[in-house]
Amino acid sequence: MSKTDDTKLIERCISGDREAFEALLAEYERPVYNAAYRMLNNRDDARDVTQTVFLKVFQNFGQYDPSRRFFSWIYRITLNESINWLGKANRLEPLAFEAVDEGKGPEQELESARVSATVQAALMTINTDYRTVVILKHFLGCSYVEISEILELPEKTVKSRLYTARQQLKDELTDLGLWQ
Amino acid sequence: MAIEQKFTDLINADIDGDISEAEKAELQAFLSDNAEGRALHDELAALSDALDGVEQEAPPPYMRHIIMNSVPPTGSKEESPGFLQILFATPALKYAVTFAAGVFLTLSMLSSNQISTRTFDDVTGLVGTVAEPVRTTFAHSVTLSETDIAGTVSLRNAGSLMILDFDLVSADHIEVQADYTDKTIWFNGFAQLESEGTTVSAETGRVRLHMEEGKRRYAVYLQNRGARSTTVSLRFMSDGKVVHQAKLEYSPGH
Repeated sequence: MSKTDDTKLIERCISGDREAFEALLAEYERPVYNAAYRMLNNRDDARDVTQTVFLKVFQNFGQYDPSRRFFSWIYRITLNESINWLGKANRLEPLAFEAVDEGKGPEQELESARVSATVQAALMTINTDYRTVVILKHFLGCSYVEISEILELPEKTVKSRLYTARQQLKDELTDLGLWQ
Repeated sequence: MAIEQKFTDLINADIDGDISEAEKAELQAFLSDNAEGRALHDELAALSDALDGVEQEAPPPYMRHIIMNSVPPTGSKEESPGFLQILFATPALKYAVTFAAGVFLTLSMLSSNQISTRTFDDVTGLVGTVAEPVRTTFAHSVTLSETDIAGTVSLRNAGSLMILDFDLVSADHIEVQADYTDKTIWFNGFAQLESEGTTVSAETGRVRLHMEEGKRRYAVYLQNRGARSTTVSLRFMSDGKVVHQAKLEYSPGH
């Protein structure tokens, strides 16, 4: 969805149009949920964070700066909420890896699920600063400039974090046996 | 021998397609002469492909409904101004109308001689609405007494909300399927009481519950905006076999 489309929808949301909000929800529900899931490694937590994010968006449309892209605003809220959630979870108990649902299915599906679970396990071992850039780059498809805008960091720092994160992930995935 | 940071950065930039022609030429010259650099390039490219290839998780199908339902209704669209607003928007008319109203009020009070001296202690007229706890109305219930599963399922309603209460004991894993033919009804939430071990999934016209063995109490919330009469068909299955079927009826006013 283009920036103009988002801006029009937001204007309608501010004037109380629930259909416009539902359209924004339909557009961003999946990436927000996926970002939260990759940050938290728990589907229930990702669902709760997604709900909180959209409620916050709805309550704070007045604070949205239309000169910025909507996705950078909502992704930033998502990552902040996820980090807050992690803080709460860490005080209670260590993060547990979710078991892969290896239901009956073609071998390819199983292999895809295995890769996904291994990548997720590796993601959870790296620092949240690094995890956020990997999620934005590889799971949400953001460019360096966009990541820089979302995280309010210089582009150079974004690149540096991404490169370090990749190096750590590569080592971790080798240890986890994804590669020989 | 460690690879110089400059070339590690160029390798990453190349993988992301964020590299200039001059940088690309410099990187290729380096890689042609450095096996370690080529290995790192290949590994990072494979990592990038693996990350990009991870399939997205599908959000729970009922999440959108829950979010929409948790969003408070906002002010309605702007209404067109009423007669008095139009009248008072024009300064000259505003003063004229105010003056005329003042004269009229004074004359009325003098002529009727009915200025009230009653103390302002009757506040009943000021009370608009008093918030009350949500009240539910029982609609229908069914009892199960099978080898695999026993207990009750009841249906209540609170305005447009229909609540299915499950209070069951099962000897084994049971799948419960609740079907409602009215497509305007949608799944609105799920809650477990005193126990866990039940999962839920929803699609248009159907809610599926998977409950583990043991005593389970849980509730399924459905939105029936039109508060229309409807039937919820329940199927209880164990190992794919239907062990019990029941229907719960709801009709407004009952």
